[in-house]
Amino acid sequence: MKDKPELAKPVYRDGDLRIGVYVCHCGKNIGGVVRCEEVAEFSKDLPNVVVSRDSLYTCSEPGQEQIKTDIREQKLNRVVVASCTPRLHEPTFRAACEAAGLNPYLLEMANIREHCSWAHLHDKDLATEKAKDLVSMAVHRAALLAPQFELTVPVKRVAMVIGGGVAGIQASLDMADAGYKVYLVERSGSIGGRMAQIDKTFPTMDCSICILAPKMSEVGRHPNIELLTLSEVKEVEGHIGNFRVKVLKKARHVTKECTACGDCTSACPQLAPDEFNAGLSIRRAIYMPFAQAVPSRFLIDMNQCLNNQGIVACDRCFQACSNKCIDFAETDRMLELEVGTIVVATGVDVYDPTALTELGYGRFPNVITTLEFERLINAGGPSGGELIRPSDRKRPEKVAFLQCIGSRSKRSNPYCSNVCCMNTVKDALLIKEHWPETEIYVFYIDIRAFGKGFEDLFQRARREGVTFIRGIPGEIIEDINSGNLKLLGENTLLGTPYRYDMDMVILSVGIRPRSDAGALQRLLNLSTDTDGFYMEAHPKLRPVDTTTGGVFLAGAAEGPKDIKDSVTQASAAASRANILMSKGEVKVPAITARIDTNKCVACGMCARVCPYHAIEGSKDLGYYRVIEAACQGCGACVPECKFEALDQAHFTDAQIVSQLDQALEKDPNSKIICFACNWCSYAGADFAGVSRIQYPANVRIIRTMCSARVSPDWIERALIKGAGAVLVSGCHPADCHYNNANQNTLKRVEKYWKRMEKLGINRDRLRLAWISAAEGAQFAKVIQEMESGIRKLEPKAIEVAAEALTKRKTKKVEGS
Amino acid sequence: MKIWNFFPREALYECYQCARCTGSCPALEVAPAYGPRETILKCLNLGHEAVVQDEKIWLCCTCNVCEDRCPQKIPISDLLVALRNSAARRGNIPGKLSIAIELLAKTGRSMIVHQLDEMRAHHGLDPLPPAPVEEIRQILKKTKLNEVIDF
Amino acid sequence: MKYALYLGCAIPIKYPGFEAATRMVCKRLGIDLIDLPFGCCPPPTSMKLVHYDSWLALAARNICLAEEVGADLLTLCSGCVNTLKEANQVLRKSDSKRRKVNRILEEHNHNFKGTIEVTHILDVLYQDSVVEKLLREKVTDIPLRVGCHYGCHYFRPPQVMYPEELSPAESYVPVKMDHLLSLIGMEPTEYSRKFLCCGSPLGANMDQDAGYAITRQKLFHIHERNIQAISVVCPSCFEQFDMGQIALSRKTKDLPKIPTFYLTQLIGLSLGMSSKEVGLDVHRVKSRKLLETINITG
Repeated sequence: MKDKPELAKPVYRDGDLRIGVYVCHCGKNIGGVVRCEEVAEFSKDLPNVVVSRDSLYTCSEPGQEQIKTDIREQKLNRVVVASCTPRLHEPTFRAACEAAGLNPYLLEMANIREHCSWAHLHDKDLATEKAKDLVSMAVHRAALLAPQFELTVPVKRVAMVIGGGVAGIQASLDMADAGYKVYLVERSGSIGGRMAQIDKTFPTMDCSICILAPKMSEVGRHPNIELLTLSEVKEVEGHIGNFRVKVLKKARHVTKECTACGDCTSACPQLAPDEFNAGLSIRRAIYMPFAQAVPSRFLIDMNQCLNNQGIVACDRCFQACSNKCIDFAETDRMLELEVGTIVVATGVDVYDPTALTELGYGRFPNVITTLEFERLINAGGPSGGELIRPSDRKRPEKVAFLQCIGSRSKRSNPYCSNVCCMNTVKDALLIKEHWPETEIYVFYIDIRAFGKGFEDLFQRARREGVTFIRGIPGEIIEDINSGNLKLLGENTLLGTPYRYDMDMVILSVGIRPRSDAGALQRLLNLSTDTDGFYMEAHPKLRPVDTTTGGVFLAGAAEGPKDIKDSVTQASAAASRANILMSKGEVKVPAITARIDTNKCVACGMCARVCPYHAIEGSKDLGYYRVIEAACQGCGACVPECKFEALDQAHFTDAQIVSQLDQALEKDPNSKIICFACNWCSYAGADFAGVSRIQYPANVRIIRTMCSARVSPDWIERALIKGAGAVLVSGCHPADCHYNNANQNTLKRVEKYWKRMEKLGINRDRLRLAWISAAEGAQFAKVIQEMESGIRKLEPKAIEVAAEALTKRKTKKVEGS
Repeated sequence: MKIWNFFPREALYECYQCARCTGSCPALEVAPAYGPRETILKCLNLGHEAVVQDEKIWLCCTCNVCEDRCPQKIPISDLLVALRNSAARRGNIPGKLSIAIELLAKTGRSMIVHQLDEMRAHHGLDPLPPAPVEEIRQILKKTKLNEVIDF
Repeated sequence: MKYALYLGCAIPIKYPGFEAATRMVCKRLGIDLIDLPFGCCPPPTSMKLVHYDSWLALAARNICLAEEVGADLLTLCSGCVNTLKEANQVLRKSDSKRRKVNRILEEHNHNFKGTIEVTHILDVLYQDSVVEKLLREKVTDIPLRVGCHYGCHYFRPPQVMYPEELSPAESYVPVKMDHLLSLIGMEPTEYSRKFLCCGSPLGANMDQDAGYAITRQKLFHIHERNIQAISVVCPSCFEQFDMGQIALSRKTKDLPKIPTFYLTQLIGLSLGMSSKEVGLDVHRVKSRKLLETINITG
């Protein structure tokens, strides 16, 4: 056996432990429920605590100063802040510690706001007792903390933007202008997105394509931007600063030499509905997406082309092209890119109202959607900008708009789509501008005109004679001879039923997440909210960051928004990415796994479960070791080690066990121990608190980075100590932030269930729940269910179970 | 009768008065009915007491199309059943309906015709066996139908 | 294939012709029927509105009778199927309601268990094996433009009536009658407001004229599409169209009358039964002339 290297760093002990505890009132947010003075007083008696204070706002400048002063004057070597979730202010307090010369990893936080005061608003006694428990858990954990030193990794000064709508365009230009190389990946044949389809913008009534086209051409000729159209992201590996991305670039079959003369398209015999015109017109198999398309090149739609079987059955376009730039043989290519930052700007789909059969969309030709209407009145659209209705190409004299179609509904999208009200007002004004004698009726529930200039536009529409009627029609009947439409409904303000005859009805359809948003979500480890939009890291303070470092959000992919908001957010996302790239390096949390090579027997079990191949070694070498730069800190490997050779920095077994023991110090039988992963379930519990969803106060949450860090030994210890129930919670199986590390969680819990059954222990006392960051209500529900399970438990049964487990454990120890 | 035992009251809070229900209501097109939107609003703002005393709540086809089209999936038909059960208990019940219920309780069937056997014979059918009237009456006594309709 | 035949009240008493047609059609298509001492369903448009507990208990009794012989319930009426399906579902889901009902029924030696399904003649005929048999046995096509009227209670609320066919986003729209009739050579024709109520419950409970006013609207849209025959699966809907056209014609004579058929009458005709056998002779709106145009007589 070869010599084993020395252990990396000695355990840090700077004389005696001196812990400072700071209990924050957070104004009334905590102080209104938890008696903070009492908690601070209680903390004074906890071991090694030399200072304990409560303050109105610990995160304020004076609050932080107090901590710094105490570190210097009271020689504190550990700090415990009991306040909000560490997901919010841990960086703040770590910085304060560092400023006073204390290693930032010697800070510990007790979450007494999201997990306590906000979740138990109506029982001050219970909340105060829980807060004491949480502080006690934190103090005991703090005693075992060790300083850690963060690794710095370089950030590649290259960005990738996914999606070429207005948000993607803006983000690309901002980063390219700052001097960084940008790959703009667009799925369709041209950039431009939804904005290119719209006729005018609100509230200023600008011509949409007129203001967008210059930006599109700028992208096309920018030296720092490489535009990849007909391209989709297929694989993403790596992490902040160093992503390796595989992009599938589909064949365009038209080379760069194309002059966009259009000779090919007139020769093509194959017809297809024109997507850009929302299917209202037809195009050929070889086509230009639209007049202002960038790149300004034709492309062949191989689903329509006669040559899609691999043989050339028709070469009319090839014959027509004088430049000979058609290449039927071009194949799809997989590009491999290395980028430092990623901006996601994938946009939205529009709601398809066919499902609402009572409105007749799809059956009655004169019922159309707002997107179809935009194309209809656009000068570049199928009717050349003439307002005509589809059934007989006559100009409608009476037009109705129906609001909230597919929005604010449990049958489709439960949220308000944000843009439809003003879009309708704008469309109504456009009709009035060109054909002032047209009668326009808008059927609405609420007109939401909240933005700058919106109310003005709404008032203008009313002055111009647009009639607004409160009450959505229940049904539309088509007159079979004229194609006119009868709207049946109730005017809720008058309380009378109405019947209106209209020539054309425009359904103001809502917007929804891309139907395939889930694919990219999994590739980038993003979270989605309950509506399916990508979720920001913090709704107020980190609105364009995601929980995946180095990945930012722009535009409607994050939530419904108009052009102005999309552009604003795109610039913000670009700016956030620019900060990373400009600095050129980033520190990664020092929470990697560490192997004690003296104890390691080189069984290799740890390497087998590592989702990042960050553990190397062999039997021959005699030990395994962690590649620190590759380790992401999930901790999935640690429970796998049967020889206590593995541990995770800052989430050591001893630290977690100390929390566990404190949580079960008093009245263990009534307690629920919850292990929650940092990204989903802990955040889900935070979200329950933020939403003020109330649940039983007897749950004690212990945070790990990934649920795969949860060791069966902890579960056993909790049960032996008499915990009523144990909850292991993590991200939904496909959404794990560590490359499906939580498959291990499932395996280990299932194995433990079997053990419980074998020993005759009620297996319901151990629960596994997948709870995402958006599922606050789900978290509360699980706790409620477990609470009612505990109530049915006999104390005797808990005791018997603990004895059985202890006996088994002793036997095992003796046996080995 | 506590009607909220029959219907989840919280579901009403989700109504935002879009009036798709009333807009779909066939009864409202031909009779001076309320429409579900107004019924829900009255329950929310005035309390259901104000609703169950009005005979207009019987102007309903029970066709459930309102519920079908409700964007908030409010179980409107359950609400209308609960309200009318409560109304009937207060004596607010249309005459035709109370006669029909009485007939059902007395004969075990909801209709009656003359020369039934001849009519069935015309179609080659045997006479209809008598309905299990006694058993049905006993069941209805136990369910306390007589608190609403005398039979 | 064996079912407990639940006739209800209106069919055996008012429209025994439907019963006769149904029994003959079932026999021809290999569907065995069991007769049991059922009582009134009772209707979702009367007893349920007045006294829910009585409605549930009587419905439970009917379901119990079928459970006791181990056969699914075959109903012929939209109202009956609505009551019995919903009661079956409610009693399966709610322990407290089931206990309460069983306490009442135990004296009569019934006990609801939730072991059978409730179905409707349209769904039974729509099964693959029955359709295959129908296509083999069919002797004549009925080439008429037909407008189907399903009746609200046949399919609403869909989460009770057809939960397994439901998508969360869409309005549920039944299609089985249209498909079935196209198999016997009919031309199912869409018309506006196809899924509107026939008007029957409003007429029965409150105001006959108001009820017919709704029927009149439906008839308007049916005429609009030059529909020659109306097909229904419910005796109440039938009455509304058949009797309704007579009542409406007393006021205005603007529209020609359109014969109305119960589904199994049309199926019976296609299987070669005579129009008297399936009971068409007693309908108020006569179909003789119409059927003669397609060479169906007697």
